[in-house]
Amino acid sequence: MTKKKPARTGRGRATAHPHPSGEGRCLDILRQLSAYIDDELPSDICGELRRHLGACPKCEEFIASLRQTVTLCRHSPAPELSAGERASLRLEILQNAQPRRSR
Amino acid sequence: MRPLAPQQPKPPRSAPETPEFDKLYRDYVDLIFRYAHRLCGEAESAKDLVQETFLNAYRGLKDFRGDARVSTWLYTIASRACMRMRRKRKGEPDRELSLDEFVPTSDGEFRLQIPMDGLTPEEALQNKQLREALDRAIGKLPKKYRMTLVLRDMEGLSAKEVGAIMGANERAVKSRLHRARLFVRRELSAHGITREHHGAEPEAGTGGADHD
Repeated sequence: MTKKKPARTGRGRATAHPHPSGEGRCLDILRQLSAYIDDELPSDICGELRRHLGACPKCEEFIASLRQTVTLCRHSPAPELSAGERASLRLEILQNAQPRRSR
Repeated sequence: MRPLAPQQPKPPRSAPETPEFDKLYRDYVDLIFRYAHRLCGEAESAKDLVQETFLNAYRGLKDFRGDARVSTWLYTIASRACMRMRRKRKGEPDRELSLDEFVPTSDGEFRLQIPMDGLTPEEALQNKQLREALDRAIGKLPKKYRMTLVLRDMEGLSAKEVGAIMGANERAVKSRLHRARLFVRRELSAHGITREHHGAEPEAGTGGADHD
C-alpha cells in the first residue's frame, strides 16, 4: 500500500508529527479499512490497526458504519425475472441472432 | 433468394434449434439479469443489457474455449456491454473518485451513522427509504466504481475475478472498491434516512447531474 502523507484536517496544526494514535494515524487507517474488513492485511498491520481501533472511538464508529454499508450491499435483495419475461427475452435474443436472411 | 411462397401462413419467426445456447441461457439468465439490474438500477435497461449480453454470447459461443468460468465470461460481456450502453445514453463522464474527498474533516464525518442499529441487514433493508437510498447511492457511483462494488460486494466475486472481468489488476480493484464503499457509506448516512421527513423532494430526479 502506498504510504501517503496524512491529509491535514485544518485543525491539527499542533500535531506536526502525526502521533501514532493521533489524527494522522486515523487517516492512515481509514485508507486501509476495506482491506481490513476483507481480511486482506498482513497480520502485523492488522494487529496494529486493531489496537488503534480499540483505543479510538472515532475510528471504531467509522469502521462500524463502513461494515454496515458492506453488509447492506451484500444483503440487498436480488431482482428476478418472471418465467414469461425469461421466455420472451430468449425469443428476442434468438431472433436478433439470426442472420437477416428471412427479409 | 427465392420469392415468398404466396399463401403459406408463416409461423412466427421461431428461434432456431440452439441446445448449447439454451443451456447457457437457462443456467445463467437469472445471474446476468441480477447483475444487470444492479448495474442499471431498473428493469427495462437491465433487460436490454441481458439481451445484449446473450446476443454477444450467442455469437461468441463457438469461440469460447472455456479458459474462464462461464459466469466470468458472461459477466465480462455484460460489463463491456454496459459500458457501451451507458456511454450511448448519457454523456455522463466517468469521473474518478479521489480518496481525499472521503477524508473526514470533522468528528461528525467520522461518526456518520447508518440507520440499522440492532437490526439484521434483512430487517434494515425492509425500510424502503434505506433500500432506496442504497440503490440511489449505487446509481450515483461512476460506473467503473459501481461495477466493482456490485461485482465484489453484491455478486460476491473475488478481487481477482473482478480484475479479470474489468481488465484491471487486483490492486486497482481493491482501491476502487474502497472508494466506492466510502462513497456509499457517506451517501447512506448523509441523506439522513433517519430524517425521513426531508427525504423525497431534493432527491427526486437524481441522475448524476450533480457529479461535479
